[in-house]
Amino acid sequence: MAVSKVLPPALAQRVGKFRQTANWRQSLDVWVPAGILVLLVFACFFGPFIASVPGPNAGSLLDARLPLFSPGHILGTDAIGNDLLSRALYGGRISIEVGLGSMLIGFVVGGSLGILGGYRGGILDIVIMRLLDMFLAFPSIILAFVVATFLGANEINVIFAISFFTVPAFARLARATTLQLRERGFVVATRLLGSRERDVLMRHVVPNVIPSLMTYGLLTVAIAMFIEAALSFLGLGIPAPQPSWGSTIASGQQYLSDAPWIVLVPSVFLFIAVASLNSLGNALRTRIESH
Amino acid sequence: MIFPIVGRRFLQFLPVVIGVTFITFLLLNLLPGDTAVAILGTSATPASIALLRRQLGLNEPLLVRYWHWLTHALSGNLGHSLITQQPVTTVLAQRVPVTLELLILAFLIALVFAVPVAVLAARQPKGIIDRLSATAAMFGLAIPNFVLGLVLILLFAQHFHFFPATGFSALGSGLGPNLRSLLLPALTISFALFAAYSRMLRADMMQQLAQEEYVITARAKGVGEPRILIRHVLRNSLFSLITIVGVNFGTLIGATVIVESIFALPGIGSLLVSAVYNRDVTVTQGVVVILAVVTVTVNLVTDLLYLVLDPRVRYGSL
Repeated sequence: MAVSKVLPPALAQRVGKFRQTANWRQSLDVWVPAGILVLLVFACFFGPFIASVPGPNAGSLLDARLPLFSPGHILGTDAIGNDLLSRALYGGRISIEVGLGSMLIGFVVGGSLGILGGYRGGILDIVIMRLLDMFLAFPSIILAFVVATFLGANEINVIFAISFFTVPAFARLARATTLQLRERGFVVATRLLGSRERDVLMRHVVPNVIPSLMTYGLLTVAIAMFIEAALSFLGLGIPAPQPSWGSTIASGQQYLSDAPWIVLVPSVFLFIAVASLNSLGNALRTRIESH
Repeated sequence: MIFPIVGRRFLQFLPVVIGVTFITFLLLNLLPGDTAVAILGTSATPASIALLRRQLGLNEPLLVRYWHWLTHALSGNLGHSLITQQPVTTVLAQRVPVTLELLILAFLIALVFAVPVAVLAARQPKGIIDRLSATAAMFGLAIPNFVLGLVLILLFAQHFHFFPATGFSALGSGLGPNLRSLLLPALTISFALFAAYSRMLRADMMQQLAQEEYVITARAKGVGEPRILIRHVLRNSLFSLITIVGVNFGTLIGATVIVESIFALPGIGSLLVSAVYNRDVTVTQGVVVILAVVTVTVNLVTDLLYLVLDPRVRYGSL
């Protein structure tokens, strides 16, 4: 089966089991949010090429604050006449890029640190975990807030700022899972057979840590999208000409009673993305836990 | 038996606080921009800039400056604001009570709703209350607090005129206006808290009901189901609630930054936003230090509370 080639063996096995046991009604809680997410990603990255959408900054003041379902602007326009659908789609790109980017940095860097610390133990483990604990002691949004401001607000720096939260979070999870795995029979056996440490880690520990990191990764993407929107809402995230869900919401703040759709449209997009990521993450987690 | 654990916990607490303050110090001082230029403006003469740099001690090595800052901070002196020249401790003393009141109110609202809802949901899994609270929780966790805040302002302040949209009236000017100005922001924060607390508490209660032997014992001796839920299961599940409250505290603080900005509350969160905007390094550092210390303390206290409340942890059998 194709799936077993793409996924790490431990996860492929789980996916296989899940295919055998679950019928389609029971797997709706996975496929519905997954489908919505695929649709959303597709719409944001390819939508503007398929249907003609005006540029996110191409509006004119004459079209300012057009309501929903106006001709030419299905989701209305913002305070300076920019098309809200277009801003939501282009803003979605940034939101997805930031979410995936900071998740991947956390996954790779945090995951490696956590596995290494958990497997080796000793002074290395103590140093890594104490250092990361300091970053976890900060509320994530405040950390991102300070880092983003002082690095300068742009997309790459926002990703770095959010990574200060994702790296320690992934490291903790990877370390906890590794600590359990280290004492399991198959890992001990391989170690006793004289395998090199690298082989034990890469063949036996890493593939079994990855599934729990992946489900956590979905939740992390949601949190990262939240933080990006909050930073941009405060004017400290994505800089002005680039559209972002957070900054579009902020721009509609003062027209809340006359033109509530300026706040509503990007909020609904953000809500759909975050709710789907959360439900998918939870559905996958209960499946992995029950096996 | 309890004291060695407490002592060890305190020993872990100190390095984390010192580390957090050092990282903040490093971060704020390594960044581009000269504090002296920031104070005097770009039109200042090089001589006056050099003088101020010497007065502020900016020519000293970084470690020496951190040591100065740390020893001053330990004696209660966090320096002066670069913009307003007020002592940072004075500014913090004005701001902290507002945030504290907001957090306590939000926390109480969340608990008052979450505990009964969780009990009712656990009593009848997949029942109407369970399903409704699951839906509410999904919304609570997926609606960003700044959107919820704006919607609440639109509904209750601009449409129905129940509450003032923004601003703050101090506790000194009467409890009524004070609570009215804090209720909408507190509701905004508490919705996500309610979602997290009610779901976690329900899950934990269900687990206890299914697995724990004391539930079987209670049923066997004929204790009624409501009494088992409230007197036995809820009491045990409250431990995990305490843990969640501790873990969630960081999120709670993060929410105040946003919510205070939307509702124009003069708390520590809006202070941080304005300090960061104005590049007021000393104030930023003061706020971050307070927040870091409070977060670490809360984590410490929840761990210790666990110790005090659960005899099994205290006697090392768990």
